[in-house]
Amino acid sequence: MNQLPTAINFRSNTRQVPPQMSAAVQKATAKFLGNRAALVDALGNDYWQVLRQAGHDIRLHAITHIAHYLEQAEQAVTRAGGQVHWARDAEEARRILLDIAARHRVKLAVKGKSMATEEIGLNHALQAAGIRVLETDLGEYIVQLKGVGPAHIVVPAFHLSKEEIAALFRDKLGVEAPAEAEKLTQIARMKLREEFLAAEMGISGGNFLVAETGTIVTVTNEGNGRMCTTVPPVHVAVVGIDKVVPDWESLTVLLKLLARSATGQKLSCYTQFISGPPRSAAETGPAEMHLILLDNGRTRILQTPECRETLLCIRCGACLNICPVYNHVGGYAYGYPISGPTGVIFASQILGPKIAGALPFASTLCGACNDICPVKIPITRILLHLRRRVVEGDETEPATAPASLRLGARVGALALGSTGLYRLGSRLLRRMQAPFVSVGWMERVPAPLNRWTMSRPFPAFAADFRQWWRGRHLKARHE
Amino acid sequence: MSRAREDILGKLEAAGGRRPGAPPAPIPPTARIAPRQPAGPETELTQLLTEIGRLNGVTRRLANREALAASLAELVRAEGVKRATCWTTPDLEAWGVAATLQRLGVEIVPGHADKQRVASCELGVTGVDAALPETGTLVLMSSPERPRVASLLPRVHLALLRPVVLRPDLHQVFAETREAGYTVLISGPSRTADIELTLTLGVHGPKSLYVWVMDAV
Amino acid sequence: MAIKAQLFITCLAEQFFPGVLKRMVGLLERLDVQVAFPEEQTCCGQPFFNSGYRSQARDLAVKWLKVFGRGDGFIVSPSGSCVDMVHHHFPELFPPGSPEHRRAVDVAARTFEFTQFLVHQLKITDVGARFSGRVTYHASCHLLRGLSAREEPKALLQAVQGLELVPLSGEETCCGFGGAFSVIYPEVSKAMMEAKVRAIESTGADVVAAGDAGCIMNIAGGLRRAGSSVRAMHLVEILAAGRGAS
Repeated sequence: MNQLPTAINFRSNTRQVPPQMSAAVQKATAKFLGNRAALVDALGNDYWQVLRQAGHDIRLHAITHIAHYLEQAEQAVTRAGGQVHWARDAEEARRILLDIAARHRVKLAVKGKSMATEEIGLNHALQAAGIRVLETDLGEYIVQLKGVGPAHIVVPAFHLSKEEIAALFRDKLGVEAPAEAEKLTQIARMKLREEFLAAEMGISGGNFLVAETGTIVTVTNEGNGRMCTTVPPVHVAVVGIDKVVPDWESLTVLLKLLARSATGQKLSCYTQFISGPPRSAAETGPAEMHLILLDNGRTRILQTPECRETLLCIRCGACLNICPVYNHVGGYAYGYPISGPTGVIFASQILGPKIAGALPFASTLCGACNDICPVKIPITRILLHLRRRVVEGDETEPATAPASLRLGARVGALALGSTGLYRLGSRLLRRMQAPFVSVGWMERVPAPLNRWTMSRPFPAFAADFRQWWRGRHLKARHE
Repeated sequence: MSRAREDILGKLEAAGGRRPGAPPAPIPPTARIAPRQPAGPETELTQLLTEIGRLNGVTRRLANREALAASLAELVRAEGVKRATCWTTPDLEAWGVAATLQRLGVEIVPGHADKQRVASCELGVTGVDAALPETGTLVLMSSPERPRVASLLPRVHLALLRPVVLRPDLHQVFAETREAGYTVLISGPSRTADIELTLTLGVHGPKSLYVWVMDAV
Repeated sequence: MAIKAQLFITCLAEQFFPGVLKRMVGLLERLDVQVAFPEEQTCCGQPFFNSGYRSQARDLAVKWLKVFGRGDGFIVSPSGSCVDMVHHHFPELFPPGSPEHRRAVDVAARTFEFTQFLVHQLKITDVGARFSGRVTYHASCHLLRGLSAREEPKALLQAVQGLELVPLSGEETCCGFGGAFSVIYPEVSKAMMEAKVRAIESTGADVVAAGDAGCIMNIAGGLRRAGSSVRAMHLVEILAAGRGAS
């Protein structure tokens, strides 16, 4: 899935979810949620809430003053010997990277896990330019071999069984591959080591960009992130402008929140802090380091104050893990590399309502995501705004919902807004439903409510409270 | 400067409604947390070693040079080490690790040798610049004497640690690493749960992590 | 002096669960609450608000505030989601500082969901109810998270004589109703509802109780479609039990 979506039809996607997906998702999310809960308990909920507030406040401060901190970061990276590029959109980012690759005659690039690079369809562009690009995070490597995108931002291949992965390795790598996690991991390790050592370019994302020293922070477990940023002679980091934080002290909060929220680890295995290329030729590391700062719609998100906090996200995946909708459909249904609640609010704004369509409605507004988000993004509040954008339009976008729906809403509200019409409607429904009702339920009803009855009966209209109330009072007055 | 840069910064400043170049508001106090309070040095060290153990690292405390030499011999045998790459910091030199390994028949490959050769080493030996007990974390910086690849490419990473490098929290570590060009926090050997959520070690980074405390060495 | 409460019956409960409303009246009167019913009320506008139709939601909020703003004293409702609408979203519909905004805030301050009214205003957890059977509790999302009513419903259920409260696995997981969500994404709604029904059946309870008509519509329908003998009841029905019908 490195092709960017032309239109997302969430309902259609949910009808194509393979039967075993739901169970696989829930197994993965239950594990992460359990591990997370244990660590939150160990810290104590009161302290965890203090951390969350601090995480929110430092990220909001950074986003509020983003221009200042980006300029500071740029100066610091340049002082440290790195080269900074600015990309307004996906096309520009891809072109910048391809230019660097061309200058260095890159034939093979190795890549760490980066949502930003998925967002811009980088792999597809590199391959079109005749450059082999390898995902090196094990889960991403697996789904890349399979030719699909990630099903979860932290564990991209969780939905595949070890038998399927073994078959994939046999088929695509031409090796003996037993269906055992340990052995499959070793096969991937050996294959990818050859590639790490041969690659002319390493590509990474960045979990955070520290403005005060121009430091890119990467948070990984496997070591591939370190490999990509240490072994090849050229390192290119693609980092969304929203990743900027003011200073190292910000990280004391954010690093306490991130791994605990994502996988229930206190810290991931490797947290790297990279400030430019190595300072002396005698140090091991890349000779050249590039940072591509990616906008691609983030500036537009910032234009709407109510939606600004979308950009606080630290990509932990906790909201995916807790979301009941995500738990039933998995990541592919969202049609975008970032899925779940944070994916919905991000993609709806990055792609715009013409492409994202009714994606903001892919939620029951249960609010579990709000409570679990380590940086307290008001996800459901943003969803409500995005829904309004779809049906009513706002300062940045005209309405995109069909006019018939909007007319229906206006008519419905008029009816409900008039006590007389409301009561009349209630009486009419009680009369009209008669042929459909049996023992207080309707098993079959006309469209669009038949979408309800395909799964469960609809209760009969039974409004008689007002008559009952009047009757009581009449009785009382006569007693 | 590039058009893209001006465009992006222009849009950001317009969205923020602030004058370009105006300094940011101060960071709110609620955005900061206090560092963890450390217990006594022995408790802290015990906690560090316990946490490293939980992360599948193997720890040992060494009382003297003889213990170090014996442990190195044991490690070389157990892990089948034929080639090793080492940091060349004053500590590593003073402990004579490279020399001891050579006497055990291990070939020493310099950290900035050709990366294929470094990758063929079974063992990488480093010092530790700081350590965090709460999370079992080793902090390693980078310099000509501290090649990054030593803790990355070989299958076995041996980290030699002085108790004085323990720090209470990230705050203290960052005060020391802030101006450096490169730092890595290492918490256990390389791992993944990408295949059916089964934990496996040694994906791309080292599969084994040994942490030896050089108590009075 | 008796406590006065205006009834906010909600459109869903009025259309589909009038028995719940009648029992609520009886229970409140037994607890010495003087109950009034403003007849002009229709709908708080939540379905419109949740679907993005803010202008329509505002019109309905204006009407609601007119109807309920006339009196004083408490406004009590058997619906967590509707009360959440009044508390958290009505003020958002009006410009801050405007008289409408002020009024919305004032009226919201005296609007209560039923269990929270009992526990925090009447200071009662034991309403003298008797209900024998095994009951499991589903925590409706807006009641739980919107109004932070985590303990009140269970405290009230636990005090019911003869009632055995059994835990529900995934008690706090959404049942899949979500208003318009149930018809916009019916397949996902179905999957969520079926998961809830399976969890309920595996408790061995006779009854599942909840505090929101939307959840009950969804869960009751699901239990029926699954051929289950478990009954879905509104909390009010249980709390009103054992004192005779009103």
